[in-house]
Amino acid sequence: MATAEVVETGVTVERDTGSFRLGEWLIVALIHVCGISAILFVLAIFAFVFGEAAPLFWGDYGFSFAEFATSTHWSPAHPTSPHYGIVALFVGTLAVSVLSMALAVPLGLGAAVYVSEFCEGKRKETLKIVIELLAAIPSVVWGFIGVMVMSPIIIHGLGASIGTNILNGGVILALMSVPVIVSVGEDALKAVPDSFREAGLALGASRWEIVYRVLFPAAKNGLLAAVLLGVGRAIGETMAVLMATGHAVQIPTSVLDPVQTLTATIAAEMGEAEQHGTQFRVLFLIGVVLFAVAFVVNLTADIIVKGIRGKQND
Amino acid sequence: MTEHHIDAHVCFISPNVVRGGDGTVERPFATMRAALAHLRATGDGATTAPSAAAGVSVPGFEVACVAAPGALGERKRKSRFRFYIDEHRHSDAPDGSESAPWIDRVTAIDGLLGLDERGSLRLRPGERLTVCHHEVFTSTSLDRIKARKERWAKYAFMVAAFLLVLPVVAILGYLTVEALPALSLEFLFKNPTDMGKAGGIWAPLVGTFLLVFVSLLISAPIGVMAGVYLNEYAPDNWFTRIVSLAVVNLAGVPSIVHGLFGFGAFVLFAGIGKSVLAAACTLAVMTLPVVITSTREALGAVPMSFREACWNMGASRWQTIRTIVLPNSISGILTGVILQVSRVAGETAPILFAGAAAVVSLPDSGFKAWVPFGLNEPFMALSYHLFLIRTQIQGVPEATQFATAIVLIGLVLAVNSASIGVRMYLRSRKKW
Repeated sequence: MATAEVVETGVTVERDTGSFRLGEWLIVALIHVCGISAILFVLAIFAFVFGEAAPLFWGDYGFSFAEFATSTHWSPAHPTSPHYGIVALFVGTLAVSVLSMALAVPLGLGAAVYVSEFCEGKRKETLKIVIELLAAIPSVVWGFIGVMVMSPIIIHGLGASIGTNILNGGVILALMSVPVIVSVGEDALKAVPDSFREAGLALGASRWEIVYRVLFPAAKNGLLAAVLLGVGRAIGETMAVLMATGHAVQIPTSVLDPVQTLTATIAAEMGEAEQHGTQFRVLFLIGVVLFAVAFVVNLTADIIVKGIRGKQND
Repeated sequence: MTEHHIDAHVCFISPNVVRGGDGTVERPFATMRAALAHLRATGDGATTAPSAAAGVSVPGFEVACVAAPGALGERKRKSRFRFYIDEHRHSDAPDGSESAPWIDRVTAIDGLLGLDERGSLRLRPGERLTVCHHEVFTSTSLDRIKARKERWAKYAFMVAAFLLVLPVVAILGYLTVEALPALSLEFLFKNPTDMGKAGGIWAPLVGTFLLVFVSLLISAPIGVMAGVYLNEYAPDNWFTRIVSLAVVNLAGVPSIVHGLFGFGAFVLFAGIGKSVLAAACTLAVMTLPVVITSTREALGAVPMSFREACWNMGASRWQTIRTIVLPNSISGILTGVILQVSRVAGETAPILFAGAAAVVSLPDSGFKAWVPFGLNEPFMALSYHLFLIRTQIQGVPEATQFATAIVLIGLVLAVNSASIGVRMYLRSRKKW
């Protein structure tokens, strides 16, 4: 009896392990598939967005790439002679991004240095949490703030005729991209070994001297990556600039001019574009441009960051 | 600086007295010469300085000028003249400067008398002459300049940090105040009517919850498994490098491009049509990197020794992950998932073309009033609703707009605070 039981148990265990191995094999296979899903999705995004835009180049759409790349004339809804030049839109994106970076980079890096080097304990934790919450506010709410809060301030304070303009969008975008700059910049400063700081202190440097003579040069690449990620966020942002920069396709002459950005154009005009029509496909082509710009910015930032890590490991 | 630090070795003079006194505020000397003579007569300072009692000799002193006897008045923060005494430093031609200090008090007073005779030590009321005792760790003027620079730098950085905090607090306060007239339970639980001009925000709220739930169902398993792959299985080679690069780039793709992708891939190509499902799929792809990155970080924080101990017991890689690694990193993974939720709740651009609808006609009561949309139907979402009632629909009361914004912010911030709370709890009870 006892022997039989042992055998039986042995058999059960054997069978269990067998089925378990199959289950494990399936799970591990699934993990591997999911693991490379990021690549698949990036490729799919490019394929689908480019796929919708591609027929422009060989189909009969009356579309000229030269005009697209060089003209400032954007009037896609014109019944007889529509024009598809993105230069004005591109300049709009550039203007808003540059202004927002001019505000966000000093503020963001300053805050990163303060959080990383000059404050400790409760204050540091609180600041980090507030900056994290700043990052959590949805972009449509930022747009709403631009229209409802910033716009009256600009009209009454600066006497501008239109409150939704480059300045408005730039300030809103600066507040949106600062959290990225602060957190990545703080990481970069944290990555500088403490021995660097100690060496500076031993030489009699004050903390400020350590910051700008030791930390800035040592964390240069990380800080640059922080700025680049901020730029990426500013260029790709849609809802806030859609609401806060006004709708005027033009080459701006002052920061109080309204503009229209690449992202806002897609968001605003896709709904009215005839499916698979020329405008529809041109909007997808703008999507391809945005994808390419974001890709280059992120790739550069990543290579810069990886570059530092590699050097530190040596 | 109105606070006066007066101790025994301060001697007062005043241009407005005729007969000199004894150097106190009430009876100041008439001239610098008289004051210096008095200071010399009182010896090396050890007899008058209060610190002498503590066994410390302080040969430094100060001569302060007042307008009238007893009138301390405004005192300038910085001394008009500053000289140094350093008994450890012999200079060939001591002149009292920091680089060539006098060797003791007597030499100092002699030097000062000489300077006074040439008329170069005139003090006006409120001004001071200070003779500092230079000890080993006494700050030099260079130290003081450095300290001042550091203070300014610190203030500048602090201002930068608080310039970020201030607008958030101000804006949230302003939005809340403006929203108060419209905020009520009824506002939350009633469906919008008359194109959002009246009624509440129940339907958009449900739409947002549906989006969050469905996109979570899709992205959480894929994201966690991708994180497991990258941290536990992936070899350290060029392919893994490309995968992580893809994660970074997926996170950096502009949200509107995700919207185009969702429209092209799910609405048109997959034939799902404009619906909750298509929008949730789009959002899932967009937020995947958030889950992957935080899962990877959480798994990376589990010490290698945990895994090695488990492997030594004969467990396979997957058994180790399932029984040791995942349970020990679940809070970190949860943080990432919660962050994903908060992003999904706030995003607008990706769902613009994937089925977010301006108007969905809703009944006043019954099941359809409480659960307004199925997975395969166009839907309303809180973020898109806010965009609509601000920019597309005319005549929506401002209070309603503000209230919608506040509910959206409140939702997102509540979710984020939960994530921060989980992280803090996790950090406080970390076992390794």
